[in-house]
Amino acid sequence: MVMSVQQTVQMAQRPAKTKPTKPAIDWRGRLLDRAPFLVACLMLALIVGIYGSLQSGVFSLDELNLDTAAAMTLMLAATGQTIVLLRGGIDLSIGGMISLGTVIAATRFTDDASTTALWALIILALGFLIGALNGLLISLLKLQPFLVTLATWSILNGIAMIILPTDGGSIPSWWVGFASAQLLGLTSPVWMLLALLLFWWWFRATRVGIAIQATGSNEKSAFLSGVSIARVNLVTYGLSGLFAAGAALFLVTQTGAGSPTIGKDYILPSVAAAVIGGVSLFGGRGHLAGTLIGAFVLTLIGNLVFVLHVSSYWQPVASGVILLLSVLASSVAEKAARNRAQ
Amino acid sequence: MDLVTVNGLSKRYGGIVALSEATFSARAGEVHALLGENGAGKSTFIQILSGAVQHDGGSIVVDGQDYRPANPDAAQARGIAAVFQELSLIPDLSVEQNIWFRHEPRTWLGTVNRTQMRLKTLALLEKYNFPALRPDQELRRLTLAERQIVEIAKGLAKDPRILILDEATSALPAREAEWLLNLTRQLAAEGRLVIFISHRMAEVRAIADRLTIFRNGSTVAAHEADAVSDNEIVTQMIGRHLDRLYPERVSTATDRIALGVKGFSSGSRLSGVDFALREGEVLGVGGLQGHGQRELFQALFGATKASGSIELWGKPVSIGNPRQALTGKDGIALVPEDRRGQGLLLTKSVRENLTLSVIKRFTENGLLSRQKEAALVKEMVDFLRIKAGTPEQLAGTLSGGNQQKVIFGKMLLTQARVLLLYDPTRGVDVGTKGEIFQLMRDLAAKGYAILFHSSDMPELVHVADRVLVMRNGRIAATLEGVHISEEEILRAAMLETRAA
Repeated sequence: MVMSVQQTVQMAQRPAKTKPTKPAIDWRGRLLDRAPFLVACLMLALIVGIYGSLQSGVFSLDELNLDTAAAMTLMLAATGQTIVLLRGGIDLSIGGMISLGTVIAATRFTDDASTTALWALIILALGFLIGALNGLLISLLKLQPFLVTLATWSILNGIAMIILPTDGGSIPSWWVGFASAQLLGLTSPVWMLLALLLFWWWFRATRVGIAIQATGSNEKSAFLSGVSIARVNLVTYGLSGLFAAGAALFLVTQTGAGSPTIGKDYILPSVAAAVIGGVSLFGGRGHLAGTLIGAFVLTLIGNLVFVLHVSSYWQPVASGVILLLSVLASSVAEKAARNRAQ
Repeated sequence: MDLVTVNGLSKRYGGIVALSEATFSARAGEVHALLGENGAGKSTFIQILSGAVQHDGGSIVVDGQDYRPANPDAAQARGIAAVFQELSLIPDLSVEQNIWFRHEPRTWLGTVNRTQMRLKTLALLEKYNFPALRPDQELRRLTLAERQIVEIAKGLAKDPRILILDEATSALPAREAEWLLNLTRQLAAEGRLVIFISHRMAEVRAIADRLTIFRNGSTVAAHEADAVSDNEIVTQMIGRHLDRLYPERVSTATDRIALGVKGFSSGSRLSGVDFALREGEVLGVGGLQGHGQRELFQALFGATKASGSIELWGKPVSIGNPRQALTGKDGIALVPEDRRGQGLLLTKSVRENLTLSVIKRFTENGLLSRQKEAALVKEMVDFLRIKAGTPEQLAGTLSGGNQQKVIFGKMLLTQARVLLLYDPTRGVDVGTKGEIFQLMRDLAAKGYAILFHSSDMPELVHVADRVLVMRNGRIAATLEGVHISEEEILRAAMLETRAA
């Protein structure tokens, strides 16, 4: 076939057709995208499997209620942390906020329900405000989130010490009883877990949620698209503080007392839970479901170490190994996805 | 009446004057081209118009009202949208989420109404006859060209009265570029104003009603497009006569083979590529975009894996990664396509960028010799005529053409003598383009061997000694001498192989 040059040039320049044909779904790509999350699920299944084979009664509602209660403080803290990580930041101050929350609760909560409710609201509001302050400082001073929240962690910790120098105080029994309240055979922590997922499903589809993710994905692009970075920081860290305050309010149902130092135990595990669940430390990618699975993994490791009758010092060792495996899985999946894209 | 009138606009960044006393006026319903070398102030001008930065002095009047947007949102509220050269897209969102970002249709719960969003996306793509895009695909999976198209869709989604296209065609293959040119006419016919920035004169000629020329931060002239010649435009842009864009092509190729490639294959994108690049030769690589050119360059540089054999200066080598490619006096160096992402550290100084990969050359007994480094940096800055205040100026603050020169300098300092230039003039102004072509010929004359890809076909035709035309990951033809022409390249790229 001979074509004239004219025809050839026209052929090259003819605009492409825009027939919106229904494209085939890229299943393998989607699978690879979710690989870190799937690996986390697999790990949880494995841990539950081993745990179940060593201990009777693991596959029961009771066990679910128990484990969720054990994991809920971490889950709440990690929910806030997930939002911050999605933004591409990190929040160390949640340690201080959790401690502060528990000591305020332990010194102010009374048997009078309305007083207690008022103070619970004050703690939540304080959490949001302190978080928002973090966000404000990060935007205004253009400082690293790591440094700003390290500083506020220290400040909040100090204030908690001033309020209650040693572990103690008291939490009214009706507040403690909240954690074991049941509805349809499920305790309140399980309902909270479902509520968290529902919240996430909603939050991630709102404009604010999308703006936070977008800012974590590429801050410059988000700015050029009209996002107010300062407002995103305010909301992101505000929500993190709010969830940390919520974690404190739940934590006191488990301990029945306040502690000015307990919060630090949740800082790095909250990051670890998110990372195990496939949330990227570089922002823009991740899902709360993964974080919650990660929190379960970290909590159940403790149970597993207990039933294996080995020294409890093995728990952090196991947690560390799992963290490494998760990061490895994400990086392998990321690499595979990149190779495919080329 | 004019839709936009700009008077005495100025903007400073610290001590650097980016714009001084710039004027501009444009009507609704026209395509208005903005011309000027890189660093002439075009970018600053459109950043001000689009609300990304604020001006220090002067006035902008849009539709009879004073205009001073505090941020991109405020600009959009007044009906002004920009399609940026540095894209404003979010890698982790889907195509449609990017198009409607911050303007998503919502449900009563405040969540994104996905059905509505999909329908609006399809309607938009249909209305402007967009090249095929998958609305649900994540942006980071798209090629540069596809991203550029999404960026255009995002601009149009705001239904702007003024659309600014900043070098939007430079990332597009021929067919999509043609589509965009048609689109600008369609938009103008709808009564919108399109402000169009391009370094390709033919495009400006094809679509612009009027044009404004910037130089050194000021407006030099404004013309009706058909009342001015190419030569006058170029003269006004650079402030002097540019004798010719393309240097004289004197072949300096020897018989010695610098880079011999046999049976080179990589995945599905490259299959059985054979060619020989000779000492002193500029060998062009052409063809329609997406036929293996990028993969060839990446694989030769060791950035992606490939099978087949490579001989450098007669010796078989295996290149597993860029470090191996760069090693030694006889290595291979690459000027990548995406200079901001891959080649240049924007927050480092010109000096650091130049010497980063060759730090060993200035090290004595494990210590860095600042004097040696400074001497070589000065030599390179002078040789390439990099316009930087001092070598300590941050690379990110240089104009596009000067950034590209820094990458050239970085590559030359590696002492590699086989150079892979992948679209080195993309987004570079016409004056610097000429300098880069001259530099390529000078290097070839010194015995360098250069493999050269350009998305602008005339560059291949006028600069290369021979042109390899790629189709479906293979070399479809090798053109030499009088056979090198746009028609022959297209013919080989699209039709059956013919002997050269």
